[in-house]
Amino acid sequence: MNHVVTLTGVTKKYGELTALDDVSLGFPRGRFTAVMGPSGSGKSTLIQCAAALDTPTSGSVAIGGVDVGTLNETKRTELRRAHIGFVFQSYNLLPAITVEENLTLTLRLAGRKPDLAWIRMLVERVGLHDRLRHRPGELSGGQQQRAAIVRALAGRPDVLFADEPTGALDLRSASQVLDLLRSMVDDLGQTVVMVTHDPAAAARAHDALIMADGRLVDVLPAPSAEDLAARLTRLAGRPVAAAGGAL
Amino acid sequence: MIRTALAMSGLGGLVVAFFAVLGGMALITGSGVIVESGLRSSLEGSRLAAADVLVSAPQSVRGGEGGLPVGLPERAVVPASLIAELSQVAGVASAAGDVTFPAALVGAEAAATGDGHGWASAVLAGGAVLDGRAPRAAEEIVVSKTHAVRPGADVEVIAAGKRGTYRVTGVVDAPGLYFADRVALDLADRTAGQRAGTVDIVALRAAPGTDAGALAQAVRKRIGDGYEISTGSAKGDAESPGTAAARTLLIALPSSVGGLSLLIVGFVVGGGISLSITRQRRDLALLRAAGATPRQVRKLVAAQGMAAALAALIPGAAAGYLMAAHFGDLLVHVGMLPANMPLTYSPIPAVAAAPLLLGVVRVSAFATSISASRMPAVAAVRDSAGEPRTPSAVRYKSGLLIILASLLISSLPLFIRGEIAAVGPGVAALLSVIGLALAGPRLVQSATGLLARHLPARVPASVWLAVANTRGYALRTAGAVAALGMVVTLATSVALTHFTILQATADETAETLKADAAVTAPAYGGIPHGLLDDVRRTPGVTAAVATSTTVVASRSLAVGDDGDNLVSRTAMVLGPDAGELVDLGVGAGSLADLKGATIALDERAGEVGERYDLVLGDGAAVKARVVATYSRALGLGPVVLSRDLVAGHTTTGLDSTILVRTDGDRSGLERLTARWPGVDVAAGSPSPQAGETSAQLWINIAVLAVLLGYVLVSVANRLVATIASRGAELTAVKRLGSTPRQLTAMIRWEALIIALTASLAGLAMSVVPLLLLSVGFLGRPWPAGPLWVAPAAMATVCAVVWLAYELTARRLIRHA
Repeated sequence: MNHVVTLTGVTKKYGELTALDDVSLGFPRGRFTAVMGPSGSGKSTLIQCAAALDTPTSGSVAIGGVDVGTLNETKRTELRRAHIGFVFQSYNLLPAITVEENLTLTLRLAGRKPDLAWIRMLVERVGLHDRLRHRPGELSGGQQQRAAIVRALAGRPDVLFADEPTGALDLRSASQVLDLLRSMVDDLGQTVVMVTHDPAAAARAHDALIMADGRLVDVLPAPSAEDLAARLTRLAGRPVAAAGGAL
Repeated sequence: MIRTALAMSGLGGLVVAFFAVLGGMALITGSGVIVESGLRSSLEGSRLAAADVLVSAPQSVRGGEGGLPVGLPERAVVPASLIAELSQVAGVASAAGDVTFPAALVGAEAAATGDGHGWASAVLAGGAVLDGRAPRAAEEIVVSKTHAVRPGADVEVIAAGKRGTYRVTGVVDAPGLYFADRVALDLADRTAGQRAGTVDIVALRAAPGTDAGALAQAVRKRIGDGYEISTGSAKGDAESPGTAAARTLLIALPSSVGGLSLLIVGFVVGGGISLSITRQRRDLALLRAAGATPRQVRKLVAAQGMAAALAALIPGAAAGYLMAAHFGDLLVHVGMLPANMPLTYSPIPAVAAAPLLLGVVRVSAFATSISASRMPAVAAVRDSAGEPRTPSAVRYKSGLLIILASLLISSLPLFIRGEIAAVGPGVAALLSVIGLALAGPRLVQSATGLLARHLPARVPASVWLAVANTRGYALRTAGAVAALGMVVTLATSVALTHFTILQATADETAETLKADAAVTAPAYGGIPHGLLDDVRRTPGVTAAVATSTTVVASRSLAVGDDGDNLVSRTAMVLGPDAGELVDLGVGAGSLADLKGATIALDERAGEVGERYDLVLGDGAAVKARVVATYSRALGLGPVVLSRDLVAGHTTTGLDSTILVRTDGDRSGLERLTARWPGVDVAAGSPSPQAGETSAQLWINIAVLAVLLGYVLVSVANRLVATIASRGAELTAVKRLGSTPRQLTAMIRWEALIIALTASLAGLAMSVVPLLLLSVGFLGRPWPAGPLWVAPAAMATVCAVVWLAYELTARRLIRHA
């Protein structure tokens, strides 16, 4: 299968704590993948390593065929800007500049000319065309997150990572954001990887990866919210046992 | 409560408050030491060591309703009849009159010059005759052992200006020259004229078994409160009449610079506290949401400020005492403080300064926290992002109004050409800085907005982001710009104002005094009799005029004088012959009429024929008639006294300087020293005000330097704290795709924008006042003095900004 990002034997330690324990997997192109797991299971660390925001303690991450481990901080940033879009739970819009300026910020940092027609299309799609001149602080949480998605997509990244994108949103806004992500995959062929702890959110994905104790423990294709909820409940109540699993 | 407060505050904000209070404490304690020394310090060593009680006349007059006492430097005398009266007081073993007059051996080394006294004083001074006997006849003298003259020798002496030959009859173990008592009174001019029948001091020795303090009380009971009665270490004051003047200077000095310092301390401490509170707006909001009442939030904020302030009090006080010591050395160095008058160190200044500082902290904590604490809890959380907030319109407009007011004040020198105009630029500069701090955020927004719109599309992202940040965080930017701008403004305005006025004074003095040489005789305490005639007879001399300066106190003579209170100032003393060499720009009357009890006045202060009440330098109240009015008041001051008026009211009774005009050949003058050894001949004409003005200049510059150092340290602190709190923001930018290099570039551009804006704003704030001052005083648009202070201050500001950003941001970026 054609993988956008491949992780091989990735381990990440924070001091004594092992956040990722020898994880190998690939994210397939054009699909919507959800990463699930209880708190502390390593799901956020997984996509931060996959997105080259963080570096693994051992193992390798390849983005577009380039081994991230061989790059210095600057090269890694450049690689990220070229291939990856990232949506944070806390939006990460800069409060000092307007929404419009935020949308093109990453491109500006990369020294790339923004594709204005593309961005205008995205803005129309998320319904923010009348809020562009506002400061982020003047937008609702849902609007800010939609703006963050537009910014992540503005450079046409190979893959869009989203870390708990609905974590801070009310149900209605969360549902809008999930619709948006799904439609990007369906209509535009965008690859999306989303970390979430909400089974209902994960159920919108093509596949769900289940993490526990820094390991990948299960892969559920076309999951339903009920299956996922049940699977997670079992994980939460289980004794310490590692399930092997590969994709 | 306190523990929560400290846990919440985070160290950064507290450190800023700590340093602000520390510096403020040091400044105020230091000023306090100076004031206390003025009130309580005692001169080291006493000449009349063997006397138990000294009775002298007060050397100051009350300045009027609520005014400070005005110090009088010329010896005020007591009637000689007191000697007989006091010798009858129970417990007095002996009473003697002491007089002091300048007396020196002609041609002796400068170190041997000094004072003359009557023989009775030698005993009181504890002098034992080492060799020979006491002086009895008119031409007999006893010398100090330091003179290296043996009994039987004939010496030439100039005593109180009178030159004569004396036979040495003895050598004594006390400083000075001793004459027979009657001769001394004669020389000191106490046998005829204004001071007939007076002595300087009546010195009492207590009978065995009588305590000096008890004797002093008995004396006070006998003669009342009209006299100074001193014992112990206070005797030094009675012996040196100038001390009272030095004391009033010490007391007045901090109050003249105190206003500025207090404002700055308030500005810095208030800023520090407000920064530490702004940093935790969100925490405070969460606290409100968790159920804290507004009152509890305010108390918490106050507790934090108090903790930082309390920690700073003791090191601050220590620094203050240290600073006062250095300041005292400076005062001695510029001649405004007698070298034998040490400063007094007691806990009082620190104890007084502490509540003042704590009060400032309390008030600024309250003022800053009031908006955060009053908001409804939910709104507080929503609003707690801190920035970007929209700067309020009221704040902006009041800022602009203050800047406008400062411009009005700075136009003062155009209308008033006098000492008071000097206040204009300093106050204007300070006001405009406060205005800048208020109006700053809006100004910064518009300025950077303009910049942002005109940035070429292709500028690097780091530049674009830097501009966007300075604009988006306008409050933060403006706070730094105002504080840094203040450094530039104060340094430039205050320093150049003083230099400009000094220059204008010197220029006008040069126009006023048409002399090209000045003869002085410091070794003899003043111009000896006969020297003026010798100078006039010297080949090459076309005119010579003797002058002196004294102090005169009066009610309002110049604009800015406190209307009802006495103001003392140095005034020149001239005779009717002054017109030859002194061109005051007389508009009405004539200097030739400076005879009898007369004065000449600044034409804006009065008219010919008016009578003025004056208090002379020894405290004598006199009425003087105005015989001339003049326009050049800057050089010699607003009042000139006639020699006749002052006669008998000065310590020495001698002129201090002979102003000389020559036909260009000064060689004859130079040869005068052969006949008059110890006489100085200098080129040019000294301004009677110059010494005082330049001393004032150095004091002001020293105070300014300390204040600026304080402001700079606290601004650097604020910058560091502000940058250190931007970790989350930098991490966000980095995650959005900024390379470390781009982050560093962004920070550097921000630093550059802030440094340049602050420099230019500071410069702009000082340019207008200085321009108006220069036009008013020098008739040209640029000030006098070291113009490089402006670029130097700007460079300092840039360096501080660069250091703060570079050191703090580097760490942040590495960890972002």
